[in-house]
Amino acid sequence: MTSGPRRPARASRYRAGRTGLGWIAGFTLPALTLYGLLIVVPLVTAFYYGFFHWEGTQRAGFAGLGNYQEVLTRYPLGDEIPVALWHNVLFFVGTMAIQNTVGLGLAVLLYRNPRFKRFFQTVFSLPYLISPLIVGYLWSLLLSPSFGPVNYVLQSVGLDSWARPWLGDPGTALPVLILVNAWQWIGGPMLIFLAALGGIPRELEEAAALDGASSARAFWSVRFPLLRPAVGVITVLTFIGCFNIFDLVYALGGSDGGPGGAMDVLGLLYYRTAFEGGTNAIGESSALAMMIFVLIFGVAIVLERFLRRREVTS
Amino acid sequence: MIGRRCGALAILGTLTLGLVACSPSASEGDSGTTGDGDEVTLEVWGWRQEDVAAYEKIFQLYEDANPGVTVEYVPYKADEYDTILRTGLGDASGPDVAQLRSYGLLQPLVAADSLVPLDDEVDALADFPDSVMDGARGVADGQVYGVPFALQTLHVIYNQAIFDEHGITAPQTWDDMIAAFGTLQSAGVTPLAATVADTWMLPIQHEIFGASTYGGYDYLDQMLAGAAGFTDQPWLDSLTTWQSTSEFWAPQYQGVTYADAQALFTSGQAAMFPGGIWELAVFAQANPDLELGIFNVPPPPGAAVQETLVPGYVDGSFGVSAASPDQEAALDLVRWMAGEEFGQAFTDELRQISAVPGIEPADELLAQALEAHLANPSPYVTYAYFSSDQPTAWDLASEALSDFVLGGATAEEAAGHIQQGVDQWFEPQS
Repeated sequence: MTSGPRRPARASRYRAGRTGLGWIAGFTLPALTLYGLLIVVPLVTAFYYGFFHWEGTQRAGFAGLGNYQEVLTRYPLGDEIPVALWHNVLFFVGTMAIQNTVGLGLAVLLYRNPRFKRFFQTVFSLPYLISPLIVGYLWSLLLSPSFGPVNYVLQSVGLDSWARPWLGDPGTALPVLILVNAWQWIGGPMLIFLAALGGIPRELEEAAALDGASSARAFWSVRFPLLRPAVGVITVLTFIGCFNIFDLVYALGGSDGGPGGAMDVLGLLYYRTAFEGGTNAIGESSALAMMIFVLIFGVAIVLERFLRRREVTS
Repeated sequence: MIGRRCGALAILGTLTLGLVACSPSASEGDSGTTGDGDEVTLEVWGWRQEDVAAYEKIFQLYEDANPGVTVEYVPYKADEYDTILRTGLGDASGPDVAQLRSYGLLQPLVAADSLVPLDDEVDALADFPDSVMDGARGVADGQVYGVPFALQTLHVIYNQAIFDEHGITAPQTWDDMIAAFGTLQSAGVTPLAATVADTWMLPIQHEIFGASTYGGYDYLDQMLAGAAGFTDQPWLDSLTTWQSTSEFWAPQYQGVTYADAQALFTSGQAAMFPGGIWELAVFAQANPDLELGIFNVPPPPGAAVQETLVPGYVDGSFGVSAASPDQEAALDLVRWMAGEEFGQAFTDELRQISAVPGIEPADELLAQALEAHLANPSPYVTYAYFSSDQPTAWDLASEALSDFVLGGATAEEAAGHIQQGVDQWFEPQS
């Protein structure tokens, strides 16, 4: 360590600092402006609106926590919040179990068999390009008990007892939602896992093989721990996606959340409060939106920190 | 690191997208009115995109009689209209005249002082029946804020060819009706294309099959006075009367959507469709060869009234924006809308029942529907009379009746759900 090499480094950092500030400001200002206008301002505005009583679009008196109290205690809204929250939790758990597990399996298969890798990557990612609303309407047509091909095929092959009103039966509606959602988004975790698998040094696997580890043992003891950063990212993104779900479930079950509210989720509850609500819809929906925001933001941060601590680096 | 930042940004981004939508803001679009000497352009906002051509013809009549006045019908998507109108009405660049939803859905606009009270402005409203004016009245002040434009009546619509094929005529008694359902079912035809998955149709179907059982307006009067409720026996019986027809609904009816039910009927797989008179135009468009008929459900054994009741309600009204810079011209337009010329043009061009008294539809089925409704009217109770505050009986009934027909709740539990919700705000009339 000599002082020689340090001088140019210090000077270059200094220059980079001076020029960088201007560049950074120039590049980030448009994005920050948009972010501020489209995200921060409405967020703060909703927080503010939630403290007032509204007469249609006219702001009336200060309500304090009145809107929050109303949302939490009014029948049946107060009862519907925990039910919808529970459906979000089930949706998250189901998505983690099916979409992300199968996504990981597909990623491992494509990683081990690079033949046709690009083709399958494209095929599994294609549903990404379709709006969830269109996916929802398409699947509701496919699953229609009167005209849908799913039941028709089941009946054609003698499986009449399997044919059922998939989206009309409270027992099957939520599982169908999880499967349709997984059908659309399974390419996401697959691509992330595939990239993460590609980043694991071959030497580690070769060392495990030389030590006599089986293929399964090498996966669970070597590869999977190194995939934890990807698992963390996917878990947080899945959590946010599952707790913000609206469009797909709206297309599959309408704003009431399907048969007997079996698919009712927080997003639909917000929609009904804001757009099918009464005179004070703005105040009540703002309060509900803030509660949902705090819940998702808080849990997502805790979840991410927890997962970060468990990461292993190669 | 990237994951953490992306996560935080994604959380903020995804959540606030929803929050943006609830923010009241200045209305968009250009000025609806241009005052240029005697030239006036009136913007009429509405939710019927499919009716633009018809409204152009209707308003041409007004323009011909009122030189210098131009009337433009500006349609918005039906499911976005209420939100757009709420913000648009608060601004001078919004509509001069607006199509208004009826009953409870009208109340937020009244509460926001967005509309001009019409009681002293439109003399012809005195000729409208009270039951019709209820659809355009502010609950808080009792004033009228719109000129009703259409009545919707509820019926069982049937396929005449299928009825003829099986030797069936429109039933005159409950037993005749059940026998007809059985005949069709035995022949492999679905008797009733009932909607179940789209829950907003459930209270409509309940009224069609259950009105005579609970008693129509007689029972409504008791409910409004606080002497009867949703959990009392007549109302409970009306639920089971309606639900008893479920054996004649389509196979796996639990998953039948509104669109499925319409398709079952127009494709000839189902013989009947319980729904609103507005379906006539929809069915004619989907299958122009369909020959249609309508009947109403005769009283079942044990019904509270022995007449065949015909439920109906006000679909909407035309009101004047309090922020319109051409309020006088707008008031002149709605005065014309309360008159015979508009009423006749409305029913002729749009194949709907005009709310203007004395207007007879040229269409045979519309005329039959109107005549039957006027002879034995029945209310659409949950939508029209218990929807002025939150939670509305209509929303509660949609949920409760869904639970009921899917087997998740008994009639008592379903009715209790509606009653418990309404009890939070409803005060009986003295």
